[in-house]
Amino acid sequence: MERYEIRLGAVGGQGIITAGALLVDIAVEKEGKHALESPTYTATVRGGPTKVDIILSDEKIVFPQASQIDCFICTYQKPYDLYKNRVKDDAIVVVDSNLVPDLGGTKNWKLYKIPLIHEIKKQLGNIVFTSVVTLAITQKLTNIIDYDNMVDFVKNWAPKGTTELNMKAIELGRNLV
Amino acid sequence: MSKRKVFQGNIIVAKAAIAAGCDFFAGYPITPSSEVSQHLSKEFPKMGRDFIQMEDEISALGACIGASLSGKKVLTATSGPGFSLMQEHLGLAVMAEIPLVIVNVMRGGPSTGIPTKPSQADMMQTRWGTHGDHPIIVLYPAFADEIFSETVRAFNLSEKFWNPVILLLDEVIAKAHEDIEIPEKKDINIYTEKVNVIKDLNIYDRNIGENPPRVDFFKGYPIHIDGLEHDSHGWPTSDPATADKMQHLRMQKIYHFQDEIIKFNEYHMEDAEIMVFAFGVSARAALSAVREARDEGIKVGLFQPLTIWPFPKKALQERFRKVKKVLTVEMNMGQIKYEIERVSSDDVMKKTLLRANGIPFTPKEIVNSIKEFTK
Repeated sequence: MERYEIRLGAVGGQGIITAGALLVDIAVEKEGKHALESPTYTATVRGGPTKVDIILSDEKIVFPQASQIDCFICTYQKPYDLYKNRVKDDAIVVVDSNLVPDLGGTKNWKLYKIPLIHEIKKQLGNIVFTSVVTLAITQKLTNIIDYDNMVDFVKNWAPKGTTELNMKAIELGRNLV
Repeated sequence: MSKRKVFQGNIIVAKAAIAAGCDFFAGYPITPSSEVSQHLSKEFPKMGRDFIQMEDEISALGACIGASLSGKKVLTATSGPGFSLMQEHLGLAVMAEIPLVIVNVMRGGPSTGIPTKPSQADMMQTRWGTHGDHPIIVLYPAFADEIFSETVRAFNLSEKFWNPVILLLDEVIAKAHEDIEIPEKKDINIYTEKVNVIKDLNIYDRNIGENPPRVDFFKGYPIHIDGLEHDSHGWPTSDPATADKMQHLRMQKIYHFQDEIIKFNEYHMEDAEIMVFAFGVSARAALSAVREARDEGIKVGLFQPLTIWPFPKKALQERFRKVKKVLTVEMNMGQIKYEIERVSSDDVMKKTLLRANGIPFTPKEIVNSIKEFTK
């Protein structure tokens, strides 16, 4: 596998840093890939624009930030505006259709507009599951990690008593795209 | 199943410190270095090692100095604003010849600057931040495995040369979570000097190039430990001959062993006509750029220093006999470029790629700069 770059953009507290951490852990521990997760954040803990770049490769990762993004998932307007600049012309792009109303130019993107946060609140009752839903969306669209490996890993990782809801989160992510 | 696991850069520092035998940490948490202290605050108590959070960075380094005097291997971790506060104590540690390791995860400056963005602008501060002529060792890893090995090396060098060692890190690399195979204990080379009980008052006396003995200052004969210039048993003096001798002893214990202290990596330098000089995250961008430029037939290589101070003058001067162009890439307004100018002759063409706005150079930007340089 050649270098593959994913960028997740959101506002602080939405859970994308966790999504990125899960993705790299699965890629490295379950699949022996090289992986790196590089978060950017502002001094504001909650509410400020954040992003996490995830880089996966069969070889040791050299440059630790995304510069030609293959897949971009964003759940808020401000981080969308700030962080879409390095997204490739033919990238997979997923945006929250309610929270990112103004897309601007969309190049030749394979674009998915989904009411992500709204559906998470409605179906899972808590946006804390955004991380796992985002992970499942990323897995389905990029196939960069194996589905079974993801399910296994999330089962082990899930805090006690949340396994069932996390499995539902995976299902929701897959159904949304 | 892979032996590799994913750890944050700061956590790799903490794990390496534990492996190196560090048994005392005092610090005051600051972005982007906080996870070093966070991790050790959890791990040290379980291991019977000491962790203390102090009220500020001045007292943090003060506590480290005290612990080091009793024979502990000590660490503190900070960022620019905290490192500025530590300068006075750093000078004391140099003057009194006290081993300690300071991690400085750089962030935008001056002052409190840009707390959450990377910068490479403390290069000269690590060399000259504390006043007076003084020797210093500064290491600067770029990859996850280097973070581990250079942290261990920082402790080893500090222990061996009785001097503070500074480990510089980029915010990007300290905050990134990256896969690494943590070496097994048997594969980690740890240097520990025997801690002696003071039986001879002349502890600062030795020949040029020799190291002083490691002693527990709180056992045996009492020794005067001072930031003032001192004689061979630590007593303040302004005698010119003694001052001259002590200055040389302190400087030469480092500069005499430069070949042992200086480490660097070279990539694609065999037939290089252009050399990129870069460190930390800039070196990682530069390595990608060098490979991309090579694919287009440009003979370019990368020199990545792991030791910043003492500066790798001899190695670079050897390279400059073959390479006629050097591109220095650094995330500041121009600091190490002056060292490159100092160690290279006028017939070496110099170019810089400088930026201090918190955004690391991308490989593409460096490729473009290399291409322009070929013209």
